[in-house]
Order: sequence, then C-alpha cells, then structure tokens
Amino acid sequence: MDKVWAVIRREFVERVRSKWFLISTILGPVFMIVVTVLPAVLAGSGGGARHIGLLDAGSGTLADRLVTQLETGNQFRVDRVTTSESGAAAAMEALTERVQAKAIDGFLVVSGATLESGKLEYRGQNVSSIRDMALLQAAARQAVMMERLTQRGVDPGVVQESQARISVTTLRITKRGATGETGAATFFLAYVIGFVMYMAIFLYSVNVMRSVLEEKQTRIIEVLVSSLRPFQLLLGKVVGVGGVGLVQMGVWGVAAAALIRYRGVVFAAFKVPAEQAAAIQLPAIASGLVVLVLAYFLLGYLLYSAMFAVVGAIVSTDSEAQQAQMPVVMLLIPGILVFPAVLNDPAGSLSSVMGLVPFWSPIIMPIRAAASDVPAGEVAMSLAILVVTVVAVVWVAARIYRVGILMYGKRPGIAELVRWARQS
Amino acid sequence: MISEPIVQVDGITKRFGDFAAVSGLALSVPRGAVYGLLGPNGAGKTTTIRMLMDIIIPDEGTVRLFGDARGGREHSAEIGYLPEERGLYRKMRVLDTLVFLAEAKGVSRDVARRKAGEWLARLELGEWQMKKVEELSKGMQQKVQFIATMLHEPALLILDEPFAGLDPINTQAIKDVIVQLSRAGTTIIFSTHQMDVAERICDHVCIIAQGRKVLDGALAEVKRVHGGTHVAVAFDDGGEAAVPIIGDPSMVAKADDYGGYAELALADGVEPQQLLERLVRAGARLRRFEHIEPSLNRIFLDKVGAAGAEPRRGEVARG
Repeated sequence: MDKVWAVIRREFVERVRSKWFLISTILGPVFMIVVTVLPAVLAGSGGGARHIGLLDAGSGTLADRLVTQLETGNQFRVDRVTTSESGAAAAMEALTERVQAKAIDGFLVVSGATLESGKLEYRGQNVSSIRDMALLQAAARQAVMMERLTQRGVDPGVVQESQARISVTTLRITKRGATGETGAATFFLAYVIGFVMYMAIFLYSVNVMRSVLEEKQTRIIEVLVSSLRPFQLLLGKVVGVGGVGLVQMGVWGVAAAALIRYRGVVFAAFKVPAEQAAAIQLPAIASGLVVLVLAYFLLGYLLYSAMFAVVGAIVSTDSEAQQAQMPVVMLLIPGILVFPAVLNDPAGSLSSVMGLVPFWSPIIMPIRAAASDVPAGEVAMSLAILVVTVVAVVWVAARIYRVGILMYGKRPGIAELVRWARQS
Repeated sequence: MISEPIVQVDGITKRFGDFAAVSGLALSVPRGAVYGLLGPNGAGKTTTIRMLMDIIIPDEGTVRLFGDARGGREHSAEIGYLPEERGLYRKMRVLDTLVFLAEAKGVSRDVARRKAGEWLARLELGEWQMKKVEELSKGMQQKVQFIATMLHEPALLILDEPFAGLDPINTQAIKDVIVQLSRAGTTIIFSTHQMDVAERICDHVCIIAQGRKVLDGALAEVKRVHGGTHVAVAFDDGGEAAVPIIGDPSMVAKADDYGGYAELALADGVEPQQLLERLVRAGARLRRFEHIEPSLNRIFLDKVGAAGAEPRRGEVARG
C-alpha cells in the first residue's frame, strides 16, 4: 500500500507542479467571470443609441408612428427626412453619403405604398447586427400594425393598449416547487456541466494514457515492474491523476460558488450598471446535483482512464497513440453529439436511453439532472450499469496493461489483446 | 544453510514464438560473489536477467532467489536492478526521482531522501539534485540511474550491461562503487560482452551463447580447467619476424594476434621455452614474453567459437 501511495503522490505532485495545471486551474474561474460579466459589459457599452435616418417619401402618418416606436426605449435616434416621391432618389443619395461619412448608421425608407405592402427598406453599415435588425423589425412591425388598425377605425385607446409589452417568463418547476430560476439559467447550467464533464473525463483519461506511455518510452517501466505489481502501478496512476482532476474541479467549483454568491462585488468591480447586473441570471446549484456530478465524474473517469491506459500500454510512440486512441475517442463522441437533443428534452426517451449506456451516462446524466428531475430509479439504474461496466473494463484493462507495458514494436491486433487479457 | 546460493536457476527456458531465447539454463550464484554473465549479443543474457527479476516468466524451469521461489518482485527491497535499457522520468527532479524509485521498493521517504543526497554528493551530482532529469548529460543520467539501483542497499545487485555507453571516467566511478559494494558483502551479478572488464572484476562467470550455458564456475577454476599452455608476447616493432612462427601449427595452436601484442595457445607438447628460442633466433624484437593463464577472452573465443558463434574481430583461426 505504501508503494501505491508513492505512485499516487508522484502522479499528483508532478502534475500539480506543472505549468499546464496552474494555467488551466486559473483560467477556469477567469473564463467563468468573463462569460458572466462580458455580456453585461458589452450590453452596457454597446455604443448607445443608433443614429439613423428615416426617409419619408409620402407615407403620411406612418412615419410619425415609426419615429415614436423607434425612439421609445432609447435604442434609436431618428433624423426624419421628408421628400416627395420624385425626390426620393436624390434624398437616398444624400443619406447614403451620410452613412459613408459615418454621420449616421443607416436609414429606413418608407413610402406611400409601405402601409399596403408592409415592405420597408433599411440600408446601413450595421445590417449584420442581429440585435439592431431585430429592434428595427419589431418597431416597424408595431408601427405598421398600429397604423393599419387606426385607419380601419379601431379605437385609438384599444390600439394603445395593444401596444403594451408582452413577455413570457419561464420558470423551472422541480419537485420542490418553482425555483425562481429561469429557463435560460437552467439551460446554461446544464450546458456547462455537460461540457465540463466531457472535457474533464477526456483530458484526465488522456493524461493517464500519456503517463503510461511515458514510462514505456523512457523504459523506466522495467525498473518499476521489478519493484511493484503492474496493478499497483496502474492503480496509483489512475488515483493520482484523478486526484488532480478532483482538485481542479474543486477549485473551479469553489470559484463558481463564490462568483454566484459575491456577484454583486464582481459586477461592481467591472462597473456593470446595476440594472444590467440584475438581468444576469446565475443558476442555483443544488447539493444533490454536486454529489451526482462528482459520482459520474469519478466513474466516467475510471472507465475512460482504464481504456486510455490500455492504449498507452499497447503503443510505443506518440504518433501510434494518436491512432490507437481513436476507437476510445469514438466511444465518447456520441455523448457529445446528442448533447443538444438531451438539453432540449432532458426527460425524453432518447435522454433516458442514452443515460443508461455506461459510455455516455457520465455526460448525459449530469445534464439531465441539471435540466430536469430525473427519477431516482433511473439514476440508480444508470449508476449500477456504470459501476458494473467500470469493474469489468478495469479488470480487462489491467490484464492487457500488465502484458502491454513490456512489449515494444508492432502494435497488437484485437486477437492478440484478447489473448493477453486471457493469459494468467 | 549459509552456503545456500543467493540465486539458483534450474532448467529455465523462454521461447518467443518459435525462437528459444534461453533453453534449459541452470546457474547458481554464491552469496558475496561478483558474477559475470557473459555472452555475445543475442545470447540470452537480458532474457535471463528479466526472468530472474520476475519481469518475464520462464516457460519452463524454476528461479529461486534468497532460497525461495516467490520471484524477484517479492524480494525487490533486497534487489537492485539496472535494466539494459536505461531511462528516467525526463521532467522529474533528480532528487524526487531517486526518492520515488526507492519508495517503490519500500524505503521510507525520509531515509530515501537522506541517502539520495549522500549518493548524489558522492558521485558529484550534489548540485544537480533539484534539476530536472532532462537537464542532465547522458552520463550524469546513467549515474543517477545507478544510484537508484542501489539506494535501498540491496543484498543483490543485478546489472544488465552496466558499463555500456559510459565514458572512461564514469566507467571508473561505477567500477569503484561495484568493488566497494562487493567488499561490503553485496552479491553482484552483471552481464557484459566486454571480457577484459569481466576478467578484472568477476570471481565467478557464466558464459552463455544461443540461449545455452557454455560453461560456468569460479573464474580461477574455469581458467584451470581450460588448460593448455598460454603465452603473451609483445614486440617493439610490428612483430613481422614472428609471423611465420606464430603461424606455424606445430608451435602455436591458436593465436589472438593484435600485431604488436598476441596471446598464443601453444600446440600440445610445446614448451614456452621452445617458442622463446625460435622467436629470438628469428630476430623478433621482444618487449614481453610471459607464461600466462588463458585470458577470459581466449576462453570465451574458444568456447563460444566452438558453440558456433561468429568469431570476433582480432580472432585468427589457426590449425
């Protein structure tokens, strides 16, 4: 046991000392702050109101309504240019020049036919801005609709009333009742959890592979296996590297919790306006979810690190490892491909089935648990299948590893691997 | 049971596919011996050592270490093993590497740390202990690995080609340590194909070729049994005058001729005196003429040559 402990410590200390660990551990929280604060900062400093022209070629009162619509909300500042139908071309020329001179961002053209056809034209340098265009469209639609209703004799009061803002607020319901969390926050949380699970399982398992291969390449493996059993070595390696993973996730977890808790301080530090800060939704993380995420990380990491250890043991060079790891990587990929589908319908049958397959459940189940209430029976079933698979895979992997680490030269085929696994 | 051998191997065989790397090898290493496992490249030395170390398992036969058959790994605390293929963790610090390798053999951390420091200082690597292994020269890395082999003060050292790739200065340093450990009672087994080194260090030898034992025993005994009359001659010039005499099968049975120096096995019944007389009469400018024991190199060439291996450079087959 002391020997295993020595291996664990070596794997752990050497990794924690590395620059790679330091950088990625620090970058995690930095990334979290950036994704939370950046949208708010950007929204706050988005250049203020757009300055646009409105070319009114005989549209009548529609232009009045448009100006009113555009200027409510302070998103646009409008210069109105009124011209006759015949002078439209010259006015457009003049406005285009103003756009080119960056005096205005663009201009909207309305004519007498607009009300009938419902067609407006916008020309500007900001046409690729999704936000600007969405606002323009909404304002135009609103203005045209109100003008049409008014002209058909609808009571102006009713028209006014219909203008009141309509919004659908989404609130997530769990067994404990409404959480106060919005759909967007839930989606964001589930997405991040799924992504982190995938990255963590993949990166740390690959680390185990590299570690196995390094001992083979430097030939130090021969000294090691004359000192301890291959299984002790593999065990120490997997636990040591996994420990690094847990520490790193722990740091990230604490950083995330601190960010959620002290977001006011963080936003103030970045000078995010109060109303912007209030609009940013940060998810609440239940402790049950934390436990589940940890359990699936550990089991998923065990499963994949055992398989990647086999890859490291059966190859002799880095480039061979690149090739030989493909089957294992392909096994992990479906878990990523169904990511959007699971997020869309975390309680659906696809999600349920994928959540039971041990090669994908470590990614799928935490997503589902973050986005919905997964029945306890399903979680238990999924975990049980995963545990059984881990035991079986580790057993086979350890046997192949034991033979592979001392073999150099030609990479073994499947038949050879089966023979190694069966050898006593 | 004091006289029980520290290593006792009986009839071990290892096949790789159709190729028998070692067949039916038996050997016995007495406690305290400096034991040379000698043989040409590909003779099966490394395979034999790996079987001793429990790294590969013999297809047939038994290996007993320290009187039991539990295998090298179970005795790893008492064995220091230097594999043929050297290598250390490149990114790890020298001191950490030594401590880890000692811990893997069950030495406590504090003891390992202290001893590693002592050994590094002794082999003039003290100021390198906090450096990464990859920053060291190849020779320094070899010394570090050698320290790792014996840091835990094993009773048995198994060294596979310990001098391969070392420069003369490091060879000397390692040789000094081996001799010192031997004096302190450590049993040392090492493989080599450098007969001159083996001859000077070993007290027991085992010569193997093509996976089979050719001969073994105490070096003195091996030499005595080999028999024949052997003479070393050296000339001030190239020894041209002596060439016909050395080439005369009625005088010289075998010659290991280096030009200015030669070791000669005399033909049956020929006395050294007769050879000296003929050399002097032929006008050879002798610098040295000595009645010697057969060199290990001579024995090796005779035995391994007879076992069908290629003759080595410098060997001239005679009569």
